[in-house]
Amino acid sequence: MTPGPLTVALLGNPNVGKSTLFTALAGIPTRVGNYPGVTVEEKIGRFTHRGRTVDLVDLPGTYSLAPQSPDERVAVDVLQGRMPGVARPDCILVVADATNLPRNMFLATQALEVGVPVVIALALADVADRKGIRIDVAELSRRLGCPVIRVAPPTGEGVATIRDRVVEATGGPPPRPLQLAAPEAGTALRPAAEAEAIARYAAIERLLDGVVGGGGAAALVEDRIDALLTHRVWGTLIFIGVMLGMFSSIFWLAPPLMDLISAGMDRVSAFVASLLPEGAIRSLVVHGILAGVSGSVVFVPQIALLFLFVAILEGCGYLARAAYLMDRLLVGMGLSGKSFIPLLSSFACAIPGIMAARTIENRRDRLLTILVAPLMSCSARLPVYLLLCGAFVPDRAAGLPWLPLKAAVLAGLYALGVVVAAAVAWVLSRTAFHGPPQPFVMELPGWRWPRPAVVLERAREAAWSFLQNAGTLIVALSIVLWALMTYPRNEQTIDADVVALRMAVGERIAAADDDAPDRADLVAQLEALDTPEGLAAARQGAAQRHSFLGQAGQFIEPLVKPLGWDWRIGCAALASFPAREVVLGTLGVIYDLGDVDPGEAEGATALERRLKAARWDGTNRPVFTLPVALSIMVFFALCAQCASTLVVIGRETGSWIWPVVTFSYMTVLAWLGAFAIYRIGLALGW
Amino acid sequence: MVAVSLDNVPVGSTVRVRDVAGGDAVAIRLLEMGVTPGVEIRLVGKAPFGDPLELELRGYRLSIRRQEAARVAIGDR
Repeated sequence: MTPGPLTVALLGNPNVGKSTLFTALAGIPTRVGNYPGVTVEEKIGRFTHRGRTVDLVDLPGTYSLAPQSPDERVAVDVLQGRMPGVARPDCILVVADATNLPRNMFLATQALEVGVPVVIALALADVADRKGIRIDVAELSRRLGCPVIRVAPPTGEGVATIRDRVVEATGGPPPRPLQLAAPEAGTALRPAAEAEAIARYAAIERLLDGVVGGGGAAALVEDRIDALLTHRVWGTLIFIGVMLGMFSSIFWLAPPLMDLISAGMDRVSAFVASLLPEGAIRSLVVHGILAGVSGSVVFVPQIALLFLFVAILEGCGYLARAAYLMDRLLVGMGLSGKSFIPLLSSFACAIPGIMAARTIENRRDRLLTILVAPLMSCSARLPVYLLLCGAFVPDRAAGLPWLPLKAAVLAGLYALGVVVAAAVAWVLSRTAFHGPPQPFVMELPGWRWPRPAVVLERAREAAWSFLQNAGTLIVALSIVLWALMTYPRNEQTIDADVVALRMAVGERIAAADDDAPDRADLVAQLEALDTPEGLAAARQGAAQRHSFLGQAGQFIEPLVKPLGWDWRIGCAALASFPAREVVLGTLGVIYDLGDVDPGEAEGATALERRLKAARWDGTNRPVFTLPVALSIMVFFALCAQCASTLVVIGRETGSWIWPVVTFSYMTVLAWLGAFAIYRIGLALGW
Repeated sequence: MVAVSLDNVPVGSTVRVRDVAGGDAVAIRLLEMGVTPGVEIRLVGKAPFGDPLELELRGYRLSIRRQEAARVAIGDR
């Protein structure tokens, strides 16, 4: 009978090269997910050595086994065999940073007390050599009573030995815990955890006495780098440069890749459409399923790029410095320095931004960051801003001669998201999220070169986990939306609607003066109805207006009227709740233009003219005025119109409560903001 | 002698920890990170807005906010 798989837990402080060792030992993980009930990532890999199968369980990075955070509690639960779905470990593989042994021995010596065999891997051994740190490995192993092995995965050093020692150690006796001295006089009154920490460090000093030496001189270079990068002026300038570089590459590098994906998916859709007969099935496959697949795959370039950057910054030690530099600014908002990169990336897209919040260890800070990240104006809002600003904001200066009003409005919309996010975070951190002071005790890891294998693995893993978990839900939502926009479909109603449209346009032409500016547009619209394309577009618009979604849009008209909107805008806003980028396309369909591409100059101009020509039903009053355009833009700036973001919030927080909270508070704020700007605009006679 | 805490020592100075006030999560975390009575700490620098602080102790770098540094009493016992 072959023995069952061995379970080996990989334990270590954050940033000690734990993931590098994981990849070196087990390659790509066989299982990635969340531990039940908590938002702590579970990662299990598998390798076979000397005929034994070993399941390697990667525990969250932790400083101590006296659990304070959810991450630490998960580590302790797994080690003690209390985590459902994970077998009690047969061996603990502790990863200790060879360049920082005293602090790392704190966790390692705690592991000796768990009661299962322990193997200690001295990670970053090559970096320690370069720094001139000398470690007597044999003596350390003798004093600890467990195997200690130098590892440097990039050179392959020690990886094979680790496999040997781990398999040998399992089944053997557990090690003898490190003897802690009796509490010193005066510390007896301290809580047990505090007295233990003091006694443990005293024991570690004795343990390492004569085992570790050198390392003083080489730290000078590192000191200089650190002094420059955390300098008040230079450090801040370099920081701004690095962040601008990162942000602009996501903003500029991702779109060509996204276009490539969209174009590829369009070809797939066209090919599939050519195979299927015209009808409901084809419509479902193309506009429901394939549109959903395309709508989720399209986020992959941004996610992969951002995680590539985050992994590089984390790998070289800059991520912690960035948090250090920005902390004071964000503390004022109730967040912390680590919120900066997730929030900055949310200006490109909230999805990678929310996923990047994984780098925030503090649970409260992480949740707050996730909740406000969707308020940052993402790239999907930009086309809406550009079209409406271009069409309805007057072409004049805003107070200063060099500042066009259009640009000022655009900047104001971006600022609005930031200010509202700051206010929401500030209020939440003092109310619902109020609690005891959160320790901000952050290690600033040593400077080193990022490992390409680890960097690539982070990007791959982020993209894959998004596709696996969020992608499937996004496709399901896309199918639901397709059904709501397609059914019910009644040809007679559609025919009647087109006839009514023809009459309405004809009446407006008759009523308009010969030299009225929009007369030509109206005549063109009427003539278009006699072409097959124009008729198809009008029928498509009619079908959408009578679908469940269109009916809902008309039903909610009393809700959107205070914002200055007619029911068609309400419909378009409703249709863009799953994904705000569809709003311009939806407006095109709803105003009988058919499928326009607002991304192209031609489509945008056509849409702009059609919106300017729109009138309230049965009157000659224009629908789109400056206050209405502002009201729409403010609504879009603040509203959570992105199902993918909500799905990712659900997945990252491990609970459906948070997407519901995010959706509700943002929708309410969006309505209030749009109402306020519309009323102000009316009152000031804009 | 007036009690001096880690949040008001000049940048670049090396001090010895006398005690960490606490009894809560913050104190435990500071002790676990090696800020224990008797250890030597160098204040490497401060962030652009004067907070948080960058420390060096036990051969590594640690960042804590002034609020936390205020709990760390320094000077010989």
